[in-house]
Amino acid sequence: MKRLATFAALMAIVTATATACGGAAATDAGAEVDVYTTIDGTKQINASAPINPFNPVGSVFTGYNGMALAWARNHPTDPNRFYPALARSWTQSPDGAQVDIHLQPEARWSDGKPVTSEDVRVSIGLAYTQGGTAYALDPKAAGAAADVRVLDAKTIRVTQGANRSAAFLANLLSTVVVPAHVYGALLPRGFWDTLKVAQHDRGPAGERAKAVITGLADKVIAFSPEQDVSAGPFVLERVNPGAALLRRNPYFYNSRAIGPDKVKVLNYTGNEQIWNYLISGQLDNAPFTSVPAAVMERIRGARGSQVITGYSPVATSLAFNQSHKPYDNVHVRRALAYLIDREQVTRIAAPEGGTPAATTSGIHAKAARAWLGDGFAELEPYRLDPAKAAAELRAAGMKLRDGRWTMPDGSPWKVEIHVPASFSDWVSAAKSISSGLGDHGIDATVLTAADYSLYLSELAKGEYDLGFWLIGLGPSPYNIFQRLFGQANGWQMFGGRLTHVPPGTGGNWMGGPRTVEVAGEGLVDPGELTSRLNYVSPGEQRRIVGVLARIANEQLPAVQLWDYVNTQFVNTSRYTGFPPDDSEMLRLSSGVWMQLGMIRKRQP
Amino acid sequence: MTVTALPGAAGRSRRATLRRNFWRGVWRVLRRKPSRMAGVAICALFAVMGVAGPLLYPAHLPRDDDALYAPPSLSHPFGTDFEGTDVLALVVTGSRYVLLTGLATAVITVALGTAVGLFAGFRRGWQDTLLMRLTDLNLAIPGLPLLLVLSTVWKFESPLEMGLVLGLLGWGGIARAVRSQTLSLRERGFIEAARGLGLPTTHIIGRELLPSMAPYIAMNMLIAVTGAVYAQVGLFFLGVLPFEANNWGVMLNLAVFSGGALTTPAALPYLLAPLLAILLLTLGIVLVVDAMDEIFNPRLREE
Repeated sequence: MKRLATFAALMAIVTATATACGGAAATDAGAEVDVYTTIDGTKQINASAPINPFNPVGSVFTGYNGMALAWARNHPTDPNRFYPALARSWTQSPDGAQVDIHLQPEARWSDGKPVTSEDVRVSIGLAYTQGGTAYALDPKAAGAAADVRVLDAKTIRVTQGANRSAAFLANLLSTVVVPAHVYGALLPRGFWDTLKVAQHDRGPAGERAKAVITGLADKVIAFSPEQDVSAGPFVLERVNPGAALLRRNPYFYNSRAIGPDKVKVLNYTGNEQIWNYLISGQLDNAPFTSVPAAVMERIRGARGSQVITGYSPVATSLAFNQSHKPYDNVHVRRALAYLIDREQVTRIAAPEGGTPAATTSGIHAKAARAWLGDGFAELEPYRLDPAKAAAELRAAGMKLRDGRWTMPDGSPWKVEIHVPASFSDWVSAAKSISSGLGDHGIDATVLTAADYSLYLSELAKGEYDLGFWLIGLGPSPYNIFQRLFGQANGWQMFGGRLTHVPPGTGGNWMGGPRTVEVAGEGLVDPGELTSRLNYVSPGEQRRIVGVLARIANEQLPAVQLWDYVNTQFVNTSRYTGFPPDDSEMLRLSSGVWMQLGMIRKRQP
Repeated sequence: MTVTALPGAAGRSRRATLRRNFWRGVWRVLRRKPSRMAGVAICALFAVMGVAGPLLYPAHLPRDDDALYAPPSLSHPFGTDFEGTDVLALVVTGSRYVLLTGLATAVITVALGTAVGLFAGFRRGWQDTLLMRLTDLNLAIPGLPLLLVLSTVWKFESPLEMGLVLGLLGWGGIARAVRSQTLSLRERGFIEAARGLGLPTTHIIGRELLPSMAPYIAMNMLIAVTGAVYAQVGLFFLGVLPFEANNWGVMLNLAVFSGGALTTPAALPYLLAPLLAILLLTLGIVLVVDAMDEIFNPRLREE
């Protein structure tokens, strides 16, 4: 009897272990179910967080139980390419001002109620409380939605304000949709009238109305529905600190396309946990994770493990505070660019997740080639060249004494490179750069900030000389160049008007000049050019991108170090049908892949 | 334990004899167990490493671009780090910061703790109450969370800054213990006698009470060094303190989070080298403390 009890207990443990390991086959009330195991790369699981997509740590997982109108494709140059989601299709007027959204006719919430235009309208109303590009309360803000009109139960029309933006469609289609019958009560009676006043009245009444709407933000974020009501392919079943379990939503409009019965989203506190999950074959998919070369070898060795790579419109750069000496001198910036061995830095810092930047253009190389064509090859590549660096330093008036470079007045020069301590790849890269500079007579040191938010706040205050900075955040050309010629460099959009604030104020830590001389173009205001990318024609966009890339290359507000590679991990032991290399789906979650008819259970 | 002033040359000679006898006794105690000699050798090795280690290597440690995370070899006994730098060189050059911090912490902890404990215990009354409430406050401060917060505003670029903070956080325990000892000793006959002779308070505290507690204080000082090493290496490991490639905590951090040392063996030597250094330093200190215990405690002497 005792032995039988022990055996039963052992069997229970084995079963529990199998479930915990996220195997394809698990039992659920006696029936065998397929569980797809993954992680959410955008957030860690917080079991006490509400099931609310407006809450940054809410238990809503994009593509699974969190739905948008459409899913952005990973295209190098066109930000307006989308896969349909709750919006089956959309039409935009020729001038781009008006968008009609046609919802999926079969779309239903997990409680059986249909997804209607009213749900989208309420979602837009809630988005206004949170702010954002398409939902700015100032009607003069570029690309802000000015009017939302329900045409019928499945069609809604959104019109942007007078200050139009090419990014309007993309921002609109990215809207998260929530059920009006759950979230609608969060919008007070008369909300839409208040919104109108906030958008159009420039007096005290307008300010009061804005305060009312933004005052709703915390209430919306804190809202905690009793249960998940999802229009996605899955609905949250339960969540604990270790994992969230989602079950299939039978009312999903394309339910037949969904392979797994359940999805388990595992929690993680650091990359090392994801590495171990991958090595043990627990995950069917993990999004981009920074991985050392030796760990990558072990992951590749796991049964069924595959690595998919694709385009990721992000690059890492070393940016200068040009209001600090000697970095106000372009020759010093160029000298440093000639002394950074980007191949070696990338090999040390991001051997599996990055490719050395071909040059500094402000754009990921793949997008840069598409935007610039032959012009890309004409940019100065800044290959490692100590002789050129020395010439540039002499041109800046720097002095070489006893083998070390000093400031023009002979005082010591120490390059201080700042990085957030939690970004191990940046820390390694900064150390490699400082070692390289040391080899060529420049004293350099690495300084770390305790965490990323502290790093960003100190950076914005202008406390750093040099800091690591993400650039090239495409595909929208405006988004790409606003990283170099946007708020961080002094250009700010207020009420539809572009202004330039002095270094050290309003988040202007890059401190670059307002205008620069560009051969063939004369005196150019790069921030103004960047803002024009929002509304000019595609042909003009291409011309402006060319000019801005040249400015980035010649003026070097930042030295582009490496372009990220979107390295995804999949395991084909249990499921097949994953996107191939370079797929436009690679930046989307597995839930979206399933919605689009991919991911099938492996047949024995 | 009475102190009688010995006049002139005779007094000096007697003190010299006492000193000679003391060091002979120390040598005898050390020789009694080989482990104690090993402890002294380890501590001496680290002291030499801290003083002369950085002088053995160039200011910019050489790197081998083609040997990232190289395995241990004759030229690199603990392999290389993420940029091909010899790990042993990093441990040796990094020892100065770690040891200086430990030393500064220990000195501050012991000096402050002893001063507060002696004064409070000897004076009693409202001074005792006030100082002990301060001590309670110090003991109640959660050290690590406070250091994490402090690190956001203070970069701790010098080991003395780090040592100062760790010392200011750690004196409470010693103050409490020294006060207890003082309360006990002050009732003894030799202190009564000193008082009766009208000797000044500074003499009673400095020449009568303090020598009686010297062994305890000395041992606490050594133990404080290990505590400080753990604390600062931990903070560097958490990544909240400034980056120095040769800092042992930074090495542990990079080995785990950048090299995947807990996942693959490639970066394991990079992880083990600073761990081994910390382990060895702790071992050395513990063995020396064992010897000190016997030197200062007559009951333990095995004549």
